[in-house]
Amino acid sequence: MITEEIIKKIQQKKGDYPVFRSAIMSALHEIQNTEGWLSQESLYKVSGMLNIPPATVKGVATFYHMYRHVPMGRNIIQICTNVACMIMGAEKLVDLLKREFGIEAGGTTGDKRFSLVIMECIGACGTAPAMLVNDDFHDNLDEKRVMDILNGYK
Amino acid sequence: MITVTINDREIKFDKAVTILEAARSGGIKIPTLCFFEGLEKFGGCRLCLVEVEKLPRLQTACTVMVTDGMVVRTETDAIIRARKAMLEFLLINHPLDCPYCDKSGECELQDLVAQYGAEEGRFAEGKRRHPESFDDPIIVRNMERCVTCTRCVRMCDGVQRASAITVTGRGDHSFVEPFSGGRYDCEYCGNCLTVCPVGAIMSRLHRHSYRAWFVEDEIETLCGFCGVGCSMILQMRENTILRAIPRMGMGINKGLLCARGRFGYDIIESNRRLTTPLVRKNGELKAVSWAEALGLVAEKFSEIKEQDGGEKFAGIVSPELTNEDNYVFQRFFRETLFSNNIDSIIRMFYAPAQAYFEGIFGQGITANLISGIGKSDAVVVAGGDPTKINPVLGLQVRAASGNGAKVVSLSNAAGLKRFASSEPVARSGSENFLYSALLKALIDTRGLPGRSGSIEQEIGNIKWPNDEEITQRTGLRKSDIEKVAEDLKDPKNISVIIGPDIMINNGLMGLFLIAAIIYVLDARIYLLSERPNEQGVIDTGCMPDTLPGGRPLEISSFREKFEQEMGYGVPGQKGLTLFEMFEAIGKGDIKAAYVMGDNPVFNLPAADRIREAMSGLDFLVVQDAFLSETAKMADVVLPAALWAEKDGTYVNLERRIQRLHRAKKSVGGLEGWQIIAGISGLMGSRMEYNSARDIWEEITRASHLYGSVSYEDLATDKSLWPYKGEPLRSGKWEIKIPEEVVEKTGHGCHVYPDRLLFHSGSFSRYSPALNSIQAEPYAVMHPDTAKSIDIKDGDRIKIAAANGWSIELVSKVDNEIRDFSVRVPNVFEGVCVMSLVDYGIEPGTGAPVWKLSDIKIEKVQ
Amino acid sequence: MQKFLLKNVDNPRSTDIREYRKSGGYKGLKKAVEMEPGKIVDEVKKSGLRGRGGAGFPTGMKWDFASRDPNFPKYLICNADEGEPGTFKDRHILERDPHLLIEGMVIAARALKVGRGYIYLRAEYPAAEVILDKAIDQAYKEGLLGENITGKGFKFDLSVHRGAGAYICGEETALIESIEGKRGQPRLKPPFPVNVGAWGKPTIVNNVETFSNLPLIIEIGPEEYSKIGNPDCPGPKLYCVSGFVEKPGVYELPMGTILRDIIYKHCGGIKGGGKLKAVIPGGISTPILPPDKIDCQMDFVNLPKAGSMLGSGAVMVFDESVCLVSVCMRAMQFFEHESCGKCTPCREGTGWLSNILERIENGMGRNGDIELLLEVASNISGKTFCPLGDGAAGMLLSFIKYFSDEFDHHIENRKCMVN
Ligand SMILES: Cc1cc2nc3c(=O)[nH]c(=O)nc-3n(C[C@H](O)[C@H](O)[C@H](O)COP(=O)(O)O)c2cc1C
Ligand code: SF4
Ligand code: SF4
Ligand code: SF4
Ligand code: FES
Ligand code: FES
Repeated sequence: MITEEIIKKIQQKKGDYPVFRSAIMSALHEIQNTEGWLSQESLYKVSGMLNIPPATVKGVATFYHMYRHVPMGRNIIQICTNVACMIMGAEKLVDLLKREFGIEAGGTTGDKRFSLVIMECIGACGTAPAMLVNDDFHDNLDEKRVMDILNGYK
Repeated sequence: MITVTINDREIKFDKAVTILEAARSGGIKIPTLCFFEGLEKFGGCRLCLVEVEKLPRLQTACTVMVTDGMVVRTETDAIIRARKAMLEFLLINHPLDCPYCDKSGECELQDLVAQYGAEEGRFAEGKRRHPESFDDPIIVRNMERCVTCTRCVRMCDGVQRASAITVTGRGDHSFVEPFSGGRYDCEYCGNCLTVCPVGAIMSRLHRHSYRAWFVEDEIETLCGFCGVGCSMILQMRENTILRAIPRMGMGINKGLLCARGRFGYDIIESNRRLTTPLVRKNGELKAVSWAEALGLVAEKFSEIKEQDGGEKFAGIVSPELTNEDNYVFQRFFRETLFSNNIDSIIRMFYAPAQAYFEGIFGQGITANLISGIGKSDAVVVAGGDPTKINPVLGLQVRAASGNGAKVVSLSNAAGLKRFASSEPVARSGSENFLYSALLKALIDTRGLPGRSGSIEQEIGNIKWPNDEEITQRTGLRKSDIEKVAEDLKDPKNISVIIGPDIMINNGLMGLFLIAAIIYVLDARIYLLSERPNEQGVIDTGCMPDTLPGGRPLEISSFREKFEQEMGYGVPGQKGLTLFEMFEAIGKGDIKAAYVMGDNPVFNLPAADRIREAMSGLDFLVVQDAFLSETAKMADVVLPAALWAEKDGTYVNLERRIQRLHRAKKSVGGLEGWQIIAGISGLMGSRMEYNSARDIWEEITRASHLYGSVSYEDLATDKSLWPYKGEPLRSGKWEIKIPEEVVEKTGHGCHVYPDRLLFHSGSFSRYSPALNSIQAEPYAVMHPDTAKSIDIKDGDRIKIAAANGWSIELVSKVDNEIRDFSVRVPNVFEGVCVMSLVDYGIEPGTGAPVWKLSDIKIEKVQ
Repeated sequence: MQKFLLKNVDNPRSTDIREYRKSGGYKGLKKAVEMEPGKIVDEVKKSGLRGRGGAGFPTGMKWDFASRDPNFPKYLICNADEGEPGTFKDRHILERDPHLLIEGMVIAARALKVGRGYIYLRAEYPAAEVILDKAIDQAYKEGLLGENITGKGFKFDLSVHRGAGAYICGEETALIESIEGKRGQPRLKPPFPVNVGAWGKPTIVNNVETFSNLPLIIEIGPEEYSKIGNPDCPGPKLYCVSGFVEKPGVYELPMGTILRDIIYKHCGGIKGGGKLKAVIPGGISTPILPPDKIDCQMDFVNLPKAGSMLGSGAVMVFDESVCLVSVCMRAMQFFEHESCGKCTPCREGTGWLSNILERIENGMGRNGDIELLLEVASNISGKTFCPLGDGAAGMLLSFIKYFSDEFDHHIENRKCMVN
């Protein structure tokens, strides 16, 4: 459901730009924040709200990889595997998560608790390996720490 | 002056051009792939890399501008290696299914590889997979073949401006898709097909039946679906059309087409075409020989002419036929039957509107180049959606908007959504209130130009409606109108585009107000034209009151001079207009009618009455390519050739005379003039024509307007208005407030014809391709309208008029219908919306003005 | 060494404007508002500041072009996309000293007569967004943003534009497309953003760290400023060090600090006393260096002489335990993932290179693969639309240049040299 509140936020964001259509990325973020992902219907709504052709909205929404086009779990584990994290053992952590939750990268657990997303560098290379769970940042990870942290997400 | 050295050759330019243009002008070839003339620069494929002295990297010739003293090399070893490398990159993910691909033989990638070669088989992994999409009736997408040049997207975004497709994803997962990911649901102009260099976006119509080398002949001709007059090429093999394509830069459409032009050609090959003449025997139409059919017509016509005289005939010509057909028809009527009862469907809008504006502003006032619209700084649209009625002209309106022009849409123009700077749409039937409010507001912002005292005096006499009245009638706020006046305050180069709804809705009063607006704006006028040769009908004298060339026949000096020069007589009294003829038929004052290429019992308002009247005729001859509703009532049906089967000329809405070229033999029909000349000969007046050219030469003698435009001139500037024939009539520069013929009352739903993008007239329904896009009519209405009568989108509904007539169809709820009318296309068999409407006749012009009979809509279970 | 850019980051309350002021914040701005805009541009020119986003373009020169353009409005954009793997310096400032950035941007706005600014923030930094929004709010409340800034009658509005996961949007023209609400693909240049940028208007894009240098330049004056670091490209520089060192992290050091010193002096040497195998000095788009090349100065002038580039100043240190084939493969996968798809060589080439590297890494390498890698990389190099593709090719070529034996070993023995 795209609530009144989201619509208000999007309307507000329009004011930041000389051209309304530039609020599209904010609009997509707002909707994704509440819905968890961007359905075709949502894209269509954004098209109407900002007077942008639907296909154009889709082109934008699919260019950026943090917009999601399938329903996601309640918590999104976004783990970095780029070079600094990789050499510090990120691959092992990914394997662990796959094993523990029985999902592949991009997948979601049956109970919708977790989705696993592989990230490029998230700017924590000095304290690698690192991950974002939803909007929370966690670094200096090891196998134990990862599981402890994830236990806190229901 | 800029001097560039390319491959040791000096070339000079007086303005900056790209290296590519510079090279091409010097005859030096540089391979390209993503570059396409007329599309926004891109620079992505990297095939056109060249060396420029002093610059460290290779440069893309298609984007880099030349500068004075620049030294360029296009064929060094490094460049050739780079080109090979780019081709190799393109091939690693490209399926090598050339034998199976319809593009084979005209694929730019294939050609480039043939020229430069590419390393083979160094790519060991599997290619990118993406299943071919068959979700669409018309277009097949094969994204495995896509080279991501984005030509299609740039075409759809930047030229067609439909923005129906996009690149989705990124990197090596970039694919071109419509919003749905499957069906396009777009304008189906097919212009993306034209630009795709490979077999990634292809027409489905000739899937696996077309190969570039099958083409035996290519005929350049015109599209017959509207008054823009787009040029296209028919590719032929064994007397069948393989496909219709535009050619970049060719014709006024410069390589663009709309769905009708590109895909609708298949009506020519329709299996519902009439192939032999039919004659009614014992109440049933029976196939007969040409000799029998023509003999019967000649005999009957002679009989009626002898007994009752020429006034007993009604002749209906067609703006779908050529000048040559129509000219010969009027000659036959005047000379052989001695009747001036000649008219056509252009009586509904084009003819009266043009006569009206010419009377005020001078002859030829509507003859303006379509390309001028895109260069305007403001465009005003009233009475129709140009992007549907004349789609390629509509692109110019969008282009104007893209260039920063203010676009004001005063009518329901869904195709201009996103392009209009203001869109005040009045409730159906109340447009005149909007026009007069706008006129007033414009006088306030721009002032009166002072060019004509008499026009300004008459404007002073207008009884202006007050603000409340305007709001109450139109549903628009004062600020809506002020916004428009503000938009139109400063522009200097304005185009006003007028569509058919203005006449049917608002009659002469609407034209009067628009004329006053045009006067205040000092604007150019464009009349939308639904059929390919509306102007030609006027020019060839297929009017009850004018001779070929447009002179009034009742002025005896004109008539006598004409008779002398042409050697045939013309009755001295003007004939009946279209609707007068039907009234006369109804009263029994007319006994026989010849309908050439039209379908009045379906196409004209109060179609039910017209049908009833026609059934009382003693003798009805219908010449058509299909067994239309009207043809079904005929005593004799004569099969006709369609435009791809004909030579001759059309005059488009810019008054440009253009030539058709016969691409194939007709399946059985004859050209209009051949049939008419045949009948005339049998009636004792021989017409000696061997070809369309012979007739053209006679027309130029008959019409001083066309002056000396020879048949050869027809592809040149000489066929552009003014043709430098006789001096043009100047306008009177005065207007009179007309009387309102039809009082507009009632606030219920009003039903109007919806003018579609995918169909035109009542014969595009025979095109399987166009039907695959839209096969069914629907009644479009605004959500508020739908709510008020408790109808939901997709409901099956029955629309009934006061006259007892009704139609059944599916509803479509769409907030683009902003004037609260209900719109039904008058195209499809069995759904004749024209039966539901009634009209009053505007006495000055003989044009019909819609009566707003309230209709009843209910859901059918 | 005295800290200028990181002086506040260890204060846990540094994001609050009062704390920022306590440490001398907004003094530069105070001084700047008393100066003629043209004078500010001159000072920045004189300071010798070069952009910290990667390309090292002289900031004063960029500003000069922009201020000469007669068109208005102009736009100011802070590039906070920080996508270059190995880089986390901007995040430090964004999350811990947001007012430093805001002050720098307001000074720039004053100098360039800009009324509207955006911080293009990567979506991978959600915490920074919250902090920035708060800081911007505070700045508005204190009259440092909005109408009539510091009572001096100039106006500057600022807001955050959140990206959504696209490395290429760090490239300034792609970033501008993205701010406009489009697919973030680079634009043709010329015209350059300083003349035709966001919404067709003159637009100045600078990196977070670049803006953060401005208060300092204005405060101490260009002469003093240019005494810091290498005179050819002066100023303090943030180096992000990751990988196998004892103390990874962000270091503020004078521009031109010796790479060896960064690793051994400042970061405490190789982790666990291990042996250095290689260093990437400026983020993974810059060529890798073997241990015998680390005695060079880390700046825009000297690193190229050593065969690499300063890039974003992201130093990634690899010890002997690291398999460089897998590093190279992972780096190439990054480029494949992040290629925008606009140009042929990058779109198709990075994917192809990843494929080859994956098969080598997985023990399925073939004879001739190294030659193929070299050839494909040189077919990309110098032929792409923007530097992303070049970066990918350059990275790979440097790996093979110095470490081809590791690749050979993988291919011949179908397994890794180190594990
Ligand atoms: C592929 C690519 C990625 C880039 N990423 C960033 C980035 O994340 N942050 C940044 O500040 N500059 C980045 N840049 C550099 C910008 O294009 C631009 O030069 C910079 O923002 C200008 O600011 P500066 O002069 O202050 O460095 C990138 C350039 C390229 C080609
Ligand atoms: S057919 Fe026309 S409208 Fe449809 S996608 Fe192609 S260019 Fe766009
Ligand atoms: S579909 Fe055709 S025109 Fe469109 S990007 Fe692909 S290859 Fe180019
Ligand atoms: S090099 Fe080409 S494909 Fe790669 S990111 Fe740049 S423009 Fe896009
Ligand atoms: S590589 Fe993982 S955070 Fe930078
Ligand atoms: S034709 Fe020049 S880059 Fe494609």
